[in-house]
Amino acid sequence: MHAYDFVATNSVDRALKLANPDSAFLAGGTTLVDLMKLDVMTPRHVIDINGLDLCGITANHNGLRIGAMARMSDVANHSEVANRYPMLTQALLLSASGQIRNMASVGGNLLQRTRCDYFRDVRTPCNKREPGSGCPAQTGENRNHAILGTSTACVATHPSDLAVALVALGASVRLRGREGVRQVPLDQFYRLPGDTPHLENQLRPGELITEVLVPALSWARRSTYLKIRDRSSYEFALTSVAVALDLRDGTVHNARIAVGGVGARPWRLPAVEDALRQHRPTADHVQAAAARAAEGARPLAHNGFKVTLMQRTITRAVLNLAGRR
Amino acid sequence: MTATDRVDGRPKVTGAAAYAADRHPAGLAYGYLITSTIARGTVTGMDTTAAASAPGVLAVYTPFNSLGLFTYNREQNDEVHAPLRDANVRYYGQAIGFVVAETFEQARDAATLVAVSYDAQPSKTSFVDNLGGATPPPSGAPTVDVLAPEFATIDAALAASEVVVTATYLTPCNDHVAMEPHATVAAWQGDNLTVHTVSQGVRLVQERLSSTLGIDQSRIHVINPHVGGGFGNKWGMWAQMPLAAAAARVLGRPVKAALTREQVFTIVGHRPATSQTVSLGARRDGTLIAVKHDGVSSKSASNGFTESVASTSLSTYATPNLHIGRAVVTLDVPVTTIMRAPGESNGAFAQESALDELADQLGVDPLEIRRRNYATVKPDNKLPWSSKHLDECYDLGAARFGWSRRNPVPGSVTDGDWLVGMGMATCTYSASRSSASIKVRLLADGTAVVAGTGADLGTGQSTVFAILAAEVLGIPVRRVSPDIGDSTAPTAANAGGSGSTSTNGPAVQLAAAAARDALLRFAVEHERSPFHGMTDVRYENGDLKAGGLTMSFGTLLSTADVPAVEATATSPRNENRTVAYRSFGAHFCEVRVNRWTAEARVSRWLTVVDAGRIVNEKTSRSQIVGGVIMGIGHALLEDARMEPTGRFANANMASYLVPVNADIPPIDVHFLDYPDSTLSSLGARGIGELAIVGAASAIAGAIHNATGKRIRELPITLDKLLT
Repeated sequence: MHAYDFVATNSVDRALKLANPDSAFLAGGTTLVDLMKLDVMTPRHVIDINGLDLCGITANHNGLRIGAMARMSDVANHSEVANRYPMLTQALLLSASGQIRNMASVGGNLLQRTRCDYFRDVRTPCNKREPGSGCPAQTGENRNHAILGTSTACVATHPSDLAVALVALGASVRLRGREGVRQVPLDQFYRLPGDTPHLENQLRPGELITEVLVPALSWARRSTYLKIRDRSSYEFALTSVAVALDLRDGTVHNARIAVGGVGARPWRLPAVEDALRQHRPTADHVQAAAARAAEGARPLAHNGFKVTLMQRTITRAVLNLAGRR
Repeated sequence: MTATDRVDGRPKVTGAAAYAADRHPAGLAYGYLITSTIARGTVTGMDTTAAASAPGVLAVYTPFNSLGLFTYNREQNDEVHAPLRDANVRYYGQAIGFVVAETFEQARDAATLVAVSYDAQPSKTSFVDNLGGATPPPSGAPTVDVLAPEFATIDAALAASEVVVTATYLTPCNDHVAMEPHATVAAWQGDNLTVHTVSQGVRLVQERLSSTLGIDQSRIHVINPHVGGGFGNKWGMWAQMPLAAAAARVLGRPVKAALTREQVFTIVGHRPATSQTVSLGARRDGTLIAVKHDGVSSKSASNGFTESVASTSLSTYATPNLHIGRAVVTLDVPVTTIMRAPGESNGAFAQESALDELADQLGVDPLEIRRRNYATVKPDNKLPWSSKHLDECYDLGAARFGWSRRNPVPGSVTDGDWLVGMGMATCTYSASRSSASIKVRLLADGTAVVAGTGADLGTGQSTVFAILAAEVLGIPVRRVSPDIGDSTAPTAANAGGSGSTSTNGPAVQLAAAAARDALLRFAVEHERSPFHGMTDVRYENGDLKAGGLTMSFGTLLSTADVPAVEATATSPRNENRTVAYRSFGAHFCEVRVNRWTAEARVSRWLTVVDAGRIVNEKTSRSQIVGGVIMGIGHALLEDARMEPTGRFANANMASYLVPVNADIPPIDVHFLDYPDSTLSSLGARGIGELAIVGAASAIAGAIHNATGKRIRELPITLDKLLT
């Protein structure tokens, strides 16, 4: 960790004014401080934004608004969120640990960096950390890496569980910078790595996420988040799936499906949603629909199992949600 | 059996217990290690200009500006090369530099400013790819054969068997990941050195530091009352220890060196990877005719330790024909070292799994095949056992666990989306009693102190000291203070080989009795004693009695105005070689595997233990539970993955997976508690390592029972079960 200067503010305008290309905003610190200790992130200026008034959670007929500085545990413990969007609550409770959830902000969660062990070790090359240096994961240890949306420059996964559920729900983020306020759908917010994996999202320098907006979706009451990993807790997903089903008379009228642990970004699966629509969710049909998740998958030496695992994860979640086995 | 709370439980949970890294002597400076980023070659240069002028930096030591450490005089299952003595790189992550600064952050920051250049040489790092180059181990016999007269070779005995199963089993490198990372605080007072450090035995530190620093052992005081887990990785001396001591000497101020979690994975050793091929020849009823167990282990080029993985077959099941083979693959990797039940935990995975495969092929119940091959004498040397009640572990365990409800047809028991299976295995580990000396001091405040070097790694050894002394002295445990992990105390057993209680326990009993006798002599002989000159003085439960007079020993000492009476006693090494000594037990478990996503989760566990007298049921239970948890990690999660570059790909606690609470079901532990009076008057054998042995095989067996899939490569992750 290198020396840096530190300033705290309780004004959004002042925070935006203080920001510069060598600065970083500090919210819960669960990613930033970790990566600063590893020298992966080396900001010269750290701007503490914990005093900003961006914490509220409101649920009404338009949907859900979550302040970017709300803690993960605030959202996870919110009864209206649990009633209306069970997949959000579950995604949060399956993330990290209780201590981390008490600190980590929702905005920070969406901006957390990948857990690729090459990204986190400055003694190894990494195109995301040091553009042009190379990607050892292509041929090295890649059991935990992505199979969808990857490039020859980067095969890292996006680590957030919350983002997977939010993408399934069609959520947006509200961004504020010196030039004003704008709103971006979350599935457009994240970039694919291409040959610029260091550019991870649409956030402009000095811009802040101020709010997350989740549209109303009545049938999201029937939703779930299933996360598969080697150990039962405190691990990032090998695969995960956020599913919402609009089930009428035993037929899937509509569906939302996004997967995590497999994509360079949270990965919505419209082809699987299409295949489920207007069908009874029998085991055979759900498996056939889930098979479509693998379209375009590019498995590597150690993560080929994720193709099957992703399909099975979707199948298991959909069948359980539909009340079938 | 008693169930006594840990004497150090309260200070540990309140944070009052000071571990090595908690020491902050006045003027403390902080060291940070620089590590290599190639597997083999030479450091050709280290530019330290920027680091040396960075804020707060006191010194930057490298092979070109070394600390003048002398070569180590002997190996302790650890690194054989003292740090910075030469510019050779023998593995990725080796100590090649040491920055000392006013703060830890300054030292860490400056370390990143050192530019290192290398002349890299080709390296061998993959165990599996180099199996063809296996060689005999550097020490010990490469093979052991015990054959019936009618067979010239083990293969002839196998050929004559009605049924033969042969399979190869692979286990990966494992790391200890003890909760407390390695830390040392060294401070000199003139020519005398005080060291607070992690260790499994202060005497080990004293000896090694003496040789590498070139000073007499008597000038080194090592203090280590609390250790946050060891499992073998604090037995040896690792680079932070001599670097802190040598830098403190040069700089004239105390120095702390603490490894980062990532550095612990390479500066400190790991459990070797193994490949084992087991052939079992048997009659159709499952009775073994021949056991052939060939084990190959990875071995670091940087030390001599080898895991004798096949040896486990010398001790477990009866067979007239037995062969074990030992070989190593020497690699340019970090040091390979001892880890909980070295050899036996990996060996038992192969041996017990092979027996399950034989049972499966013959349609015999896994428990029944173990009963049919019960060893009433040690299989290799035919010595009778000092005490063995494994059959009772089997019977009692089967009844308590409900083993009879196991359906032998794989996949036949389900619970919703989960396939449910049961497995079991034998666990066994060697037992011994070495020599130990203990001092017991009776104080004027009515308390007693029990002192011996030793170490309490969280095992409960301090509490055992207190319980056994209190028992002999007839006073409550709370009036006994253990004084453990101080090199000025008499030499007791280091914490290793599951021998702490079996070795130190008898010495505590002898020393407490000697202190009681010394007190009685004092009472009669000291002129200020109210019992002076009396002939019928007795000691009962902390009191001295004679005539009509009763007085506690504290009051006696106060009255006589004497601070303490003490005695030191030595319990000798056990020399009875006419019997064989082992601890025994049986694991039973239930495992669930999801029918869709294939993750395996352990849902029930029972271990029945026959380990002689159990001194403290409470801490002993924790030892067994800890062994089982580590066994669950061994079976399902732990896998230190080596890259071709020699870098461990997952050297951190987010990627090297050990079990979390959610992975662990309630664990039922039952102790038989038959004292082993042949081993010692105390009758205690060892329990520290026993319970990891066999645990992985019990889980693999349960997974087979659940799914029909026999997985022969650890860890059994879901990708191996998905197909």
